[in-house]
Amino acid sequence: MVPLAPWRPAAGLEGLPLLKRGAEAEIRLGEFMGLPAVFKLRVRKPYMHPRLAERLVRLRTRREARVIAAARAAGVSAPALLAVFPSMGLIVMEHVEGPLLKEVIDRRGLEAGGLVEEAGYNLGLLHRAGVVHGDPTTSNYIVRGGGVVLIDYGLAEFSSSVEDRAVDLHLFRRAVESTHAPLAGELYSLYTRGYLRAVGEGGVEVLRRAEEIRLRGRYVRERRRSVWGVG
Amino acid sequence: MPPKGAGEVLVLGIESTAHTFGVGIVSTRPPIVRADVRRRWTPREGGILPREVAEFFSLHAGEAVAEALGEAGVSIGDIDAVAVALGPGMGPALRVGATVARALSAKYGKPLVPVNHAVAHVEAARFSTGLRDPVALYVAGGNTTVVSFVAGRYRTFGETLDIALGNLLDTFAREAGIAPPYVVGGLHAVDRCAEGGGFVEGIPYVVKGQDVSFSGILTAALRLLRGGARLRDVCYTLREVAFSSVVEVTERCLAHTGKRQATLTGGVAANRLLNEKMGLMARLHGAAYKPVDVMLSGDNGVMIALTGLAAYLHGVTIDPGEAYIRQRWRIDEVDIPWYPWLPGDPPPG
Repeated sequence: MVPLAPWRPAAGLEGLPLLKRGAEAEIRLGEFMGLPAVFKLRVRKPYMHPRLAERLVRLRTRREARVIAAARAAGVSAPALLAVFPSMGLIVMEHVEGPLLKEVIDRRGLEAGGLVEEAGYNLGLLHRAGVVHGDPTTSNYIVRGGGVVLIDYGLAEFSSSVEDRAVDLHLFRRAVESTHAPLAGELYSLYTRGYLRAVGEGGVEVLRRAEEIRLRGRYVRERRRSVWGVG
Repeated sequence: MPPKGAGEVLVLGIESTAHTFGVGIVSTRPPIVRADVRRRWTPREGGILPREVAEFFSLHAGEAVAEALGEAGVSIGDIDAVAVALGPGMGPALRVGATVARALSAKYGKPLVPVNHAVAHVEAARFSTGLRDPVALYVAGGNTTVVSFVAGRYRTFGETLDIALGNLLDTFAREAGIAPPYVVGGLHAVDRCAEGGGFVEGIPYVVKGQDVSFSGILTAALRLLRGGARLRDVCYTLREVAFSSVVEVTERCLAHTGKRQATLTGGVAANRLLNEKMGLMARLHGAAYKPVDVMLSGDNGVMIALTGLAAYLHGVTIDPGEAYIRQRWRIDEVDIPWYPWLPGDPPPG
């Protein structure tokens, strides 16, 4: 047997090059058992009560690992899972190299349309696996080998509800409206085309609900009933 | 106040979207803020009653405008434009402000400038902090939104999927029997009650992408209370969970946009704990953080006048006959041709 290559425990991760300091986790590059790997270490937010921070780190780490495993099993293009350490808040996974979908759209505009459709297709496969992503923005797809890889399952959940699925679509639309405003309409329609290809008929209801959520954001009645006022 | 100088531009702004009828007067020359007059309707019990508010506004509008002119030491003839918040907000209340502004504009021949109330809250934050291009968390009774300027407009990066942060605190306080009054000495009833409280389990934390949701928190908090949990612990935890979630979505917006500045604005912006959390979050990302000046956090006429001044100098006016109120006018529907210009900067052009 090949001897196992050593890996660095969380305490030693500082030695690994920092790829990204996200809103929620540090992403470092390293090797795990000889494979190029991404070390995703959730940080305990200093602005949260320690018990809340602890709860979120454990919960999100464990859930993210389970979700990635389920997604991969359903054929979603997602990074391979290598190891999980919930109490440390650490997930080790395959290193996916390539530009972000956001960057490719910024550079190539609608020429990246095929990739956007592919991105929607992947979300559809994920939903079919009973998982919602929770943050499917153009910054959470990596373009690799003519396709896309859906990353960052930090906010993903097991759910088959129409509402949760529709929120995913709504979030993608929100992301393109805020980041790629002039192309938002086209990008969203390509995305939903790919989505429908993966989920079939049932997706129509999800799309309709996504539209409803969008309007709800605008017309929430409760907002008008407060002493703080609309202000 | 010094008399009006040559080339100086003065704008009078009117706010009447919710409980406050505000009149502000601002200038292109220091001191920029010349007058800040407010008449605030407060409920004896329950929440806002739009009809009562409108009646109260009608009674006090005239004297508020006169007082503002007196405070600024100018006459209506010195004013170059009248700005008014046309939305979003409560219809009956908005109508009073719009009527007064249209009348002033028509009678004295002053250009009328439409202002979006939410845009004005963000501009008040930019003006009072000097942060030119921040990610802004706007939290108030009826609003919980994370916005930042991208391609000509303030874009919504996240918002509440149900009730707003101020509404959550108010409703909980009311249901728990600790309000009204909601705010005493700058502290909300929930803040006062959370003193000496500790963290309890059982309140969900809901962040979806960059959006938050509070209705589940409200239900769970009330259930804990009825189940016998200590009120101060529930208040403490409710606040901890709700504030952490809005700070987290702001953090996500900072990370997503790569911007280097953050601010907090709106009626809940004066909250000390929320400010501490925002400051810690910003430090984590090496971003500058400052909240809106506490004088401009709640609804006021100055923020409308400031935004009106920027808009007016960049050619934004409206025919009084077209100046309809818009109860649901979203922040991301407004073009911001003056960005990142601020009153105090050299005049445009």
